[in-house]
Amino acid sequence: MQEYQQMITRQKRWLFYYLIIVVVGTVATSFHSIFNGLLLGSVVSSFNLWLLQCRVQKLGEAVVKGKKTMGIGTIVRFTLIVLTLFIAETFAQYFHFFAVIAGIMTMYVVIMIDALLFQLKD
Amino acid sequence: MSALAAAIAVSFAALGASYGSSLIVKTTVEGIARQPELRGPLQTVMLIGIPLVEAVPILAVVVAFMIL
Repeated sequence: MQEYQQMITRQKRWLFYYLIIVVVGTVATSFHSIFNGLLLGSVVSSFNLWLLQCRVQKLGEAVVKGKKTMGIGTIVRFTLIVLTLFIAETFAQYFHFFAVIAGIMTMYVVIMIDALLFQLKD
Repeated sequence: MSALAAAIAVSFAALGASYGSSLIVKTTVEGIARQPELRGPLQTVMLIGIPLVEAVPILAVVVAFMIL
């Protein structure tokens, strides 16, 4: 259980550092549409990761206690991503579409790097 | 025609991902139910596995948006 909590903390920390870098890039550089897109995608990605972590935790607790649980939030995550892509396509002058996609994929990159660095090492 | 292509791309990707996710969740739930002390490692593996499966339909949604 402790290992899961440590992994959650690490992932949140990496995403937080990444968000700070993106915010600094948005404010300090002139590539506004690219960094706006990265920021939008990264915020949605962070929320998705948080939701997944909470739901997996609740699923584990429910199984141990013999209770029922309501899925792992896949529909909410997909809906959010579709909504984000719709916003990016509608306001194309503010958000670079491919930057939004790169931002959405941040969560997967963080999870994979964390798994490669810490899970395979053990 | 492009809308049909987008719908097919998203629906097949979602079908595959739902099957994959269900397998991961099923195995994890069975494992935790058998050995509750292994809950931490099993949840960790589940948290790594589910995003890997979910990345495919998300990329399919992106492709669908680009087709439309």
